[in-house]
Parts: sequence; C-alpha cells; structure tokens
Amino acid sequence: MTVYDLALQQLINGVSLGSMYALLALGFTLVYGILELINFSHFNVFMVGSFVAFYVLEGFGVVGQNTIMTGLPLVGVLLAALAVTMLVTGGIGIGIERFLLRPLRSVKGPAAMILTIGVSYVLFNIIVLGAGADSKNFPNPLPPIAFTFGEVVLRMREILIWIISLVLMGGLTYFVGYTKLGKAMRATAQDPEAARMMGIEVDRVIMMAFFLGSALAGAGGMIFGLYYNYTSFMIGFSAGLRAFTAAVLGGIGNVPGAMLGGMLIGLIEAFSGAFIATAWTDVIIFSLLVLVLVFRPNGLLGRMAPDKS
Amino acid sequence: MLLQMACPAASLPGTDNDNKGEQHMITRRSTFKAAAGVAAAAALGLPQHALAADKILKVGNDNSFTGADAQAAVRIANAVHMAFDEANADNAVPGYKWVVENFDDATATAGQYDPAQGAINARKMVSDPSIVAALGPSMSGVGKAMSPILSMGDLAIITMASTNPDITDPKFARQYRPKGKAIYFRTVTTDAYQGPNMANYMIEVLKAKSIYILDDSGAYGVGMADAFEAQAKKKGCNIMGRDRLDPKAADYTAVLTKIKALNPDALYYGGVGQAGTKLAKQAYDIIPKMIKAGGDGMVSADVLQGAGFPAVQGWYATQASPHVAGSSDPKVVAFTKKYFDTYKMYPDDYSITAYDAALAIIASAKKVNAEGKPVTRSAIRDMLEKIEVPSLQGLVSFDANGDIKDHTVSVFQIEKDDKFPLNDPGKQYAYRGVAPQS
Amino acid sequence: MYSATMQMLGRPFANIPPKARQALGLVTLAVVLLLFPYFHNNDADIASMANAGAYVALALGLNIVVGFAGLLDLGYAAFFAIGVYYYGVFTAYQVMPVWSSGWAPLAAVGLVEKINQGGPDLVHFTLSFWLALPTAALVTSFFGVCFGAPTLRLRGDYLAIVTLGFGEIVPIVFRNSDSITNGAAGLNGVASPSIFGFDFGVDATPYYYVGLFLVALLIYVSIRLRDGRVGRAWMAIREDETAASTMGVNLVNYKLLAFAIGAGFAGMTGVYYVAILQTATPDMFNFNVSAMLLVMVVLGGMGSVWGVVVGAFLLQIMQSWLLPDLNWMLHSIGELVGSVWLQNVDMVKSTQLIFGVILVFMMLFRRDGLIPATRKTPPLDMIQQAAQVQRGGFVGMEKIGRWEQRSGNALEVKDVTVRFGGLTALDRVNIVVPEGGVVAVIGPNGSGKSTLFNVITGLVPADGGSILFQGAELLGLAPHTILEKGVARTFQNIRLFPNLTVLENVLIGQHARLKTGPLGAVLMSPAGAAEEKRARQWAVDIIGLFGNRLAPRLAQTVLGLSYANRRRVEIARALASRPKILLLDEPTAGMNPNETLELAEQIKSLHDLGLTILLIEHKLDVVTRLAQNVVVLDHGEKIAEGPADVVRQDEEVLRAYLGRAGREHVAAVHAKAAETTVAEGTGDA
Repeated sequence: MTVYDLALQQLINGVSLGSMYALLALGFTLVYGILELINFSHFNVFMVGSFVAFYVLEGFGVVGQNTIMTGLPLVGVLLAALAVTMLVTGGIGIGIERFLLRPLRSVKGPAAMILTIGVSYVLFNIIVLGAGADSKNFPNPLPPIAFTFGEVVLRMREILIWIISLVLMGGLTYFVGYTKLGKAMRATAQDPEAARMMGIEVDRVIMMAFFLGSALAGAGGMIFGLYYNYTSFMIGFSAGLRAFTAAVLGGIGNVPGAMLGGMLIGLIEAFSGAFIATAWTDVIIFSLLVLVLVFRPNGLLGRMAPDKS
Repeated sequence: MLLQMACPAASLPGTDNDNKGEQHMITRRSTFKAAAGVAAAAALGLPQHALAADKILKVGNDNSFTGADAQAAVRIANAVHMAFDEANADNAVPGYKWVVENFDDATATAGQYDPAQGAINARKMVSDPSIVAALGPSMSGVGKAMSPILSMGDLAIITMASTNPDITDPKFARQYRPKGKAIYFRTVTTDAYQGPNMANYMIEVLKAKSIYILDDSGAYGVGMADAFEAQAKKKGCNIMGRDRLDPKAADYTAVLTKIKALNPDALYYGGVGQAGTKLAKQAYDIIPKMIKAGGDGMVSADVLQGAGFPAVQGWYATQASPHVAGSSDPKVVAFTKKYFDTYKMYPDDYSITAYDAALAIIASAKKVNAEGKPVTRSAIRDMLEKIEVPSLQGLVSFDANGDIKDHTVSVFQIEKDDKFPLNDPGKQYAYRGVAPQS
Repeated sequence: MYSATMQMLGRPFANIPPKARQALGLVTLAVVLLLFPYFHNNDADIASMANAGAYVALALGLNIVVGFAGLLDLGYAAFFAIGVYYYGVFTAYQVMPVWSSGWAPLAAVGLVEKINQGGPDLVHFTLSFWLALPTAALVTSFFGVCFGAPTLRLRGDYLAIVTLGFGEIVPIVFRNSDSITNGAAGLNGVASPSIFGFDFGVDATPYYYVGLFLVALLIYVSIRLRDGRVGRAWMAIREDETAASTMGVNLVNYKLLAFAIGAGFAGMTGVYYVAILQTATPDMFNFNVSAMLLVMVVLGGMGSVWGVVVGAFLLQIMQSWLLPDLNWMLHSIGELVGSVWLQNVDMVKSTQLIFGVILVFMMLFRRDGLIPATRKTPPLDMIQQAAQVQRGGFVGMEKIGRWEQRSGNALEVKDVTVRFGGLTALDRVNIVVPEGGVVAVIGPNGSGKSTLFNVITGLVPADGGSILFQGAELLGLAPHTILEKGVARTFQNIRLFPNLTVLENVLIGQHARLKTGPLGAVLMSPAGAAEEKRARQWAVDIIGLFGNRLAPRLAQTVLGLSYANRRRVEIARALASRPKILLLDEPTAGMNPNETLELAEQIKSLHDLGLTILLIEHKLDVVTRLAQNVVVLDHGEKIAEGPADVVRQDEEVLRAYLGRAGREHVAAVHAKAAETTVAEGTGDA
C-alpha cells in the first residue's frame, strides 16, 4: 500500500465518518440556531437511536453478522428500520422539548443546558439498566460487496452510508430552504420575537427543530451501527463531542456549515490517525476547536443568525 | 441483578454488628437500623438467628459492579460465592460459617472503577473485625489504592484479575505493603510474564518477524503492551509501530488502515474488551489475514458477543494461568457445569482464578483451625505464604511477594464451535499450548 | 405549613439575635465535625468523610467559576488532575534523574533526596505536602489563566464546550506522558504527608482533619470573596456582562480571576486527594467527574456557598452510605416478605440515573438549589409600601455633596460615525455638553440615540470621529475604563443585575472607586474593611436620595421591584460610581405623570449640585424642564439643535417626528398642549 493508497483509503474512511458526524452536527445546529442552546441530550439521543435500530433490525429477524439480505427485502428492511428509528428518536426530541425545555425557555442563564446534561445522563442510564452494559453485535444485513482499486477498498456499507446521509442532508436543505415551515424556522432563528409577530407559530417551529435534529441523530445512530456492526451505551459521548465540534467548526446555526464541519472532523480523525497517532487525535480535534473559536468564533461559514445579545 | 439473586450471602452485610463483641461501637448501619423501623429490624432478625450457632468468618469481595465492567464482576462474584457456599455446605472449617460481603469500587462520580472508593472499601474491610480475608479487585488502579491500607490492617487480599506488576514488586514494597509482609496475593500472573511470554510465542511459534502494537489507554492494556514491546524488541523483532486507542472512540479504521499499509506480520493488542470488541470488528474488515493477538482482556464473553463471528475468528489471546476452563479435567468440568446450572451463564477464566482464590482462603482458614489456633486475619495471611492449595489450576502457591509461583501463560485461539453457545468463552477459545517463558 | 413548622422549631432560638444564632450554629457544627472521629471511630466512614471533603472543596471551587462568575466550566476536573499530578509527580518514585551535586542545595532544603535502587544514585523528589498545598494553588491558577485566556472572549455556551475540550485533553496528555506520570498505569507511592515527624500513613483520621481544615479554609475564602468587591464584580458579570462592564468591571480580568481562583481550589484539593489515595491514574478525571461536580453545585444552589457544601456532601454521602444502605434494607425487606423484585433492586447501579434526574428536577422546579444564594426577603408591609410622590427633588442631598465646578466642555462628540454593516447608525454627529450643563437628545425611534450612548460608553466601536471627555479621547477605551474616567450611564431597557439586591446593585456601581482585591478581601485587611464600610454607607446614602421609594427595599432583589423603582435603582447605581457626567437613557420611560415629575425634579436637583448630564428623553415636558440645549437626531444625523422651545418649532424636527401630513395638525394643537408627549415608544434598538 503506497502513501497515496493510504491517503485515498483514509479519504473513504474520513468521508464515512464525516457523514455520520454531519448528521449529528445538524441536530446541534438546528437547535442552537433557534434557541441558542447547546443540547447535550443530543449525545445520547444518537446512542438511543442506534439501540432502537438494533432492536428493530433484530425484530425483523436480522441478527448478528449471519443474516445477509439482498434486493428489495434489504431495501425494505433498511428503510423500515430507518423510519422507525427516526420516528422514535424524533419523538424523544419532541418530548424533551415539550415537557422539559419549554418550561425553561424564558429562563436566562445555563439552566436549560444543565437540564440537557441531566437528560443525557437519564437516557444513558436507562440504556445501561435496560439493555445492559455489554457491547452489542449490531445486525448487518448488507451483502459483503466491495470494490477494490489497487489496495483501496470501497465497501457496500460505505456507499450506503453516503447515500443515506446525502439523501437526508439534501432533504433537510430542501426543507429549510424551500418549505413554508423551513422558512419559518429560518425566520425564527433570525428573530423569534419578530417571527412570532409575523404570525409564525414559534412553538411549532422549535418543536420541529427538535424533531428533525433528533430524527437525524437517530439516523446517525443507525448508520453508526451499520458501519461498525457494533453499538454500546458508550458511543454517545465521543461521537457527540466531535459532532458538536463539527457544528462549531462549520459555524453553529449554519446548516451547510454543520455538513462541512462534520466532513472536516471526519477527515481530520482519519488522517491524524493514519499519519500522526490515534493517541493524540482527541487533542488535535479539541485544539482545533479552541483555535477556531478564538480566531474565527463564528466558524468557517459563519452563523445563520446574527448574534443576539 | 443476577449477582444478588444468586448469592443470598450478599444480602446479609450488616448482620455482624450484634454477633461480635463490638456493641460499644456505634456503626452507621446500627444507627440506621434504629431509624429504619420495625420492618427492617424484623428482616434482620431472621438471618441472624439462623447463623447464631456458628461463628462468622466474613470475606470482603471488591469488584467494579457498576458500569462497563459489571458483567465481568458478576462472573467473578458468582464463582466466589459458589466456593464459600460449598465450604459452608461441607462445613470446611468446623465451627465457622462463611459470609461474603460484596464491595463495589465503581462510583457514579467516576462513572467506572474509582480508586478512592476502592480505598474506602479497603478501610471498611479493615475496620470490620469479622472480615478475615478479602478478594479482588479486578483493576490495578484500585489495587494500588487498597494495598497499603490492607497492609496496615494485616488483611490479606487475593486478586483474581489485576495484573500490574508494580503492586507486588519489592521495589515498591514501602508503598504497597508498609508493614513489610506480603499482602496482595494473586492467582494470576502479572503482566511481567503475560506480555513477554506472548511475545516469545508469536516470534518463536507463529514466526512473526514484524509486529504492530496497540493498547487501549488503560493501566492494564498499556502495561501489557509495554512488557510485550520490550521483550519483542529484545528478541530482535521489528516493531513497526505503537499506538493507543481511545476506548470511548468508535472508529479505529484510521490506525488499522495505517497498519494495513505497513503490512506487519502480526498485530498485538494490549487491552480489555471495550476497545477490543471494536478493534476485532474493524480489523476483520481491513486486515483480515494478519495474525492478531491480545492478552487475557480478549478472553471474554463480551468480546465474543460484541464483535461476534466471523470477526473474532482466529484471534489469539492469552490467559495468565495454566489452561483449565473447559478442559477435560473432571474437577473443571464439574465446576463449569455447576456454575452454569446455578447462574445460567458460563464461567470465564477469571471465574476460575476467583474460585481458586476463594479456595486458597478457605484452605488457609481450615489449616489454621486444624492447628488449633483462632482463625484471624493475621493467621490467614501468614498461612497464605506457606500453603499449597489444590485448585482448578493445579497446585496454587504464592511467593514472598504474594505472586503466584506458577508463571504459566496459556495461549488460545478463537475458533468457532457451533456445538456450543457462540458467546461461551469456555468453548470458543481453542487451547494452543503454553507460551514459552523467557 | 413548612415555614410554620420551621418557625415553631425556631422558637426557642428566636430571642437570640441572628448573628449570634449563626455563630452558635457554626460553632456547634465545628464541634460535631471535630469530634466526629472520636464518637464514630470507624476508619472507613472517616475516610468516606475525608473523601466527601475533597468533593466539597472541589464543588466550592467550581462554585466560584460557575456560581459566582457564571462561567459554565465543564472541564473542571482538569484542574483537579493538575493538582493531583503536581504533588504526585514530585513525591512518587516516577521521575528520578541521575544524582549530581547540583541537586545538593535542593536536598538541603528537603525538596529532594538521594536514593539508590542499584545503579547510579538517583534523585527522588520529596515535595512536602504542606508546601505543595499552597504552591499547587498557584500552579493550577496559572493553568486556569492559560486555559481561560483564549476562551474568555467567547460567549458562555461556547466556553462550556471549550472547557469540556480541555477537560478531555488534560488527562490524555497525562496518559501519554508515560515517562513523567507513569502513564495509564498510574503513579506509584505518592508520599503521605507528615508533620513534626508524625507520618500520616494510611490512617484516615489525620486526613479527615486536613480535609476539614481545607474545606473550612475554602468556605472562608469563598465567603470573604462573595461579600466583597470581587464577588460583587463576578456576580455582576454573571447577571449582565454589558452592564457590568459599563459599571467599571474589567470583564477579562475578573473572568480570569474567577478561573484562576476556581482552579486554585481544585489544585489544592488535588494535592489533598492524592495524598489520601497515594496513587492516581488518568482515568480518574473524565468528564463524569466534572459533570458530577456540576450536579453538586446545581443541587446546592449556584452561587450559594453553604448550599454547595450541602449539595456536594449529600451526593457524596448518598453514594457511599445512603444508597448501599438503602439497597441492603430493601433486600432485607424483600427477603422478609419474599419479594424477589425487592431483593433484586439495585439502587447503587442507579446512582447516575438518580443524579441525572436530580439535574432535571432541580432545573425544572428549583433552579436556585436547596439553599438558594439569595434569600427571599419578606414582603413589605403596607406602611413601608406606601410611597408619596415627592416634590422638590432629592431628600438628604447634603450627604452626597456638590460636584466640583469646572469650566469648558465636559464632553465633545466630534464627527462620530457608526455603521452596522450597510446601515449608518450615526453620521458625523457633533454634540457638545458643557461642564455642569444638561443636554437632551431627542429623535424618533431608530434615530441613533442609544447608539450614541453606546459609542460614548465604549460598547460600540466608532467608524470615525472623536469623543473627548474633559479633553481626553474616549474612543478605543474599554467600557470599564470609560466609567473609571467618570462617565456613567443608564440603559433604555434597564440593565440591572436582576438576582442581586438593591444594595448590591448600587455597591457594584462603586466598583471602580474601590480598591480591595481578592487578597485584601481574604485577609480582611483593616483598610479593606474600612473601605467596605464606607462603600456601604455611600450606597445607603445614594439610595436614601429616593426617600422611601427604595430605602425599605435595600435587601430585596431588583427582580421583584416595580418598573419605576428599577429605573431609580439604575440611576442610583450610576450615581454611586461618582460620575462626572451622567448619561440617562429615557429615565422616565414607563413612569406615570406623577412619577415622571418626581424624577424630573430629582434630576434637576442633581444638576443643581453641579453634575453634568446628557439625557435621552421622549417626554418633551421633561426635556423642556431640564435641558438648556436639545439635540435632535434623525436617521443618525443631527437635524437640529438649540433650546427646547426653538427646537419644538423646527420644521425638520416636526417632519422627522410626524411626517409632512401631520405637521399642520400639530401646529394647531401646539399652542394649548404645551406638555404633549410627542412620541412615546420603547423600541429604539
């Protein structure tokens, strides 16, 4: 394997990783854009999503690495699992917003953020107590198809991840940019008061942001499971932190920024692992975060909404 | 949960207060008891009566019952309780009844094992006069915090799983056994043997000429990988690189792709299942043909279950004890069967070393009693230094530092056996022999 | 019901004055804690207490950062780790350079010793625990400043995530620096403290006393800081950064100070903690620890010293005593009644879940914590509430004295331009305020009046021009420096510190005029104490100006005040800074005609005392009454200037306010309605 092969392979790895971070980063960005809230519960909504997908797939009879499916059944099972996962996590998001965060909306200070940390712990421990602390062998129904270019391998699962992420991100971009509710969302992010006066149902918009963000996190969780054939109660923190970094890197509150940031973090992780050392990956990522915040606090693409202070 | 169901003894802590001559001492639990009301008091009354005939010998069993290591802790605790239940049934030490009290060294504040909690547990054991010996812990970090306290209390502890050599190293005697005498006994060998012996095995038997080494950032994993690296270098093997995995991170493809590019003969991983599971999965995708090996951290149901076949197929792993679990040795067969029947799960090798540790304590107490001396902590500690215990691993005895005299490191390879549950570590690891000692 | 019970319980002590009651309570607590190891001679429980002490100390440190200064630090465990490794590395058998004679001086003072483990002689560091304790505070404070400096410009929530990042990085660095820290395997043989030849060893009791001392010290320091100038500045930052800076608080310095002192607490605690444990691994400092410390602070009450102590203690004790005991009781009961479910309940496993639920519940239902930082003051009775409209200006003005009379111009705004993107908010505006004069700025909403104030007080940078105050340039100065020079202001939309009392708000106004720093506060220097006393007297005098509008409400949080009273507090706060010029942004907005009249006369009396005033006001009667000169702004340009009566007739002004169509109508009404309010609104952003 030459250095170029290695780099190309890392590019594939990094993009796959990046699409996962991007999906997760979108949830941070949607909520932050509107409420200026760092939603720590998002970390573990992602984790719960991968467990939901795990149980749904097992419910379809896909267990471990031995149930290989092809053709329409495969597409059907995956779509069904994706839909259920996204609905469940989206529902969790709505629940968190409606019952826990809405009462706090008028409260200044870090109360809401601290609350989301609490929610994160609760979700985490519900999974630990309910599903156990062991690693789960995530079902993998994908046929082992791979394309090789020299020593570079591109697997079916990577292509699948890219497709799912692209479709979801495209859908979100369309939604935010061209639908009525999406426009209302952007308006609310700009100025909630003005939006309310213009007849926008701000509550509905915020709920939608939570639903979309959490649903995307759920999708991210399922993709995580399919990609690594693994899930565990631990996956939320590390992935969540990196995704958040990605959102900040791209410019928090900025939808294309989150996608770009996710990709960049994925690539940085892949390349630093290959060319520096994985022992220092976290240090590199967080140092980058600090540097970006210090020198370009609004991220690479800037904020969607002007500073409300 | 299983733990509590399995061992009624575990739900009896606190019953000691009235049995022993320590009424003058107001303990927290006795105050609690007074406040707890009639129901709890009545609940207490029951087991006390049942035990009143014999004197109580209590054993503290410290492990990480909360968090990621809980599963392993339960497997160990089951074996411990099984041993003492058997001793009680056989009346192994006439006039005495064994009671095991579990201590959890994991805390919510740490989210995992917590050396400070281990230290507190050690103090709890020391300050409870009815505790005559202790078992555990699994984590060397905890062991380091417990050892000096236990030494001052003259309370011997036998670990079934912690392998960091520093604790028993005479170089650190002043720190870890300030009273001088050995206090931290082991029924497993330390990393000082496991890593290097496996290096010998990989170089001599598997003919690996170049090796890439990974660890999982944990005390155990890093220690093992360090010892492995030192020995492999000494034997002239080409160490192509060394890197560290973050057990919390999900993606190891970056480093694995790098390893693929370097193309060494073998990959050695020092660490436990948390990162090991993910490593096995991803290594199967990226470097399926390479020789892959780990230490005893790779021998677990969690690895088999979490990574699954075919990803784990072919991995080498070692055990810091002679191979016995799942062997045809009738004692071991009987143990495994009984364990499974009682707890509905298979024992792993640490269940065996835990069981052996319990046997060593029972045998010491028995011998002390037979010599007509009172069964005390110091008597048991002194006896442990001398005794030879027939156990599942064969004859177990300890050297002057508390380390097990037998330094056998057994090598296994994961080989799918459809006849048995695919997550049974006793059946899915094929024995490959003893690793050459250096 | 609750309060009734408390009153009954409190009855025997009701006759003791509150101060003495507090002192009595403290002494009792101290005696109980001091004697604890004697009447409860259980090593493990004493160790649990010692351990809890460490967490109480950590929570106190985090409280400085989060509770006082409002900086959400999610990586606080990093400082704890630095403290642990500082003492650990310099006493454990880890870093052992080869001995050379250069080490001899250090050996002579006991910092190192020569040892031999076979091979060459080596240096073993033997840093004394008692020396390590204070120096660790310095070392970690240094790191606190290092981590804080690049991040403090960030908004609060970004700060949270960056500190989280630091919290992750620090243990990784310790883990990867094997040669210094022994990496993941953890330190070996950290020395136990000794004093006068007595080695602490592994017995928990001496550590318990050290912990007790440490906690007492940190409580003392926290309280001293909280009740003085430094603590008020932090709380001002927490409540409203912008208002704090315009009231003279140097944001960067005080945020860094909070970080440094908070880190220092963690550093000292780290030394203590590792001395008990005598080993440490990098795993001990993960995000969980930082988060749990936050839970402790939140549970007890952010900013509440005693609350945090109770919160941390409760959670620690819940973990190590309560839950295991509860577990054991449930199992016993389960055994008795034959309930398998009860026997299988595992409370200990659910500790984290319980912590999470606590966070959620506290945030939803009791955000101020168990022991809130600000006590609820009893509501005023009818007599206290009854306030008459006062005529004739301030009462008790003699107490504040006259302003120094100077000649010339106090403030000269020359050609000042401010642009926001494409929008020009101020376009080459010129305004002159003579010493001792009152100038009013009027103009329709969005005409740039508040921007003018913001640019004068340094909140908004200018794109050109110059602002001279008593001949010195203000542009480019930070808001707090501008206040120091004597420019104080109020805000159109009132920016008080809502959770602080009236007195505290006014005290913060004096920030720039006081000197006591953290050290002075902690050491209770006589000069500092005298200064604080004078400051309080001055604040009371200022508040007293408003008669019984504010005086009975000294100890109430401003959150509960009426709108008009909040305006008064804001003026009092500005006056407390002994300004040379006072900038009032619509001081009478939202007041009824009587209150407006009252305030107008009070402002007039300030003018009579010689204070220079620049005023934004919509109510033309107020303007007419007060201002010698009126400046009219429209779309960022000055369109008219002159005495009030002249300006009122100005064509441009009328057009700006009403457009052409309304002009004739206004002209008709004008004659009889001398006190017409031309425009009233609040939306001038």
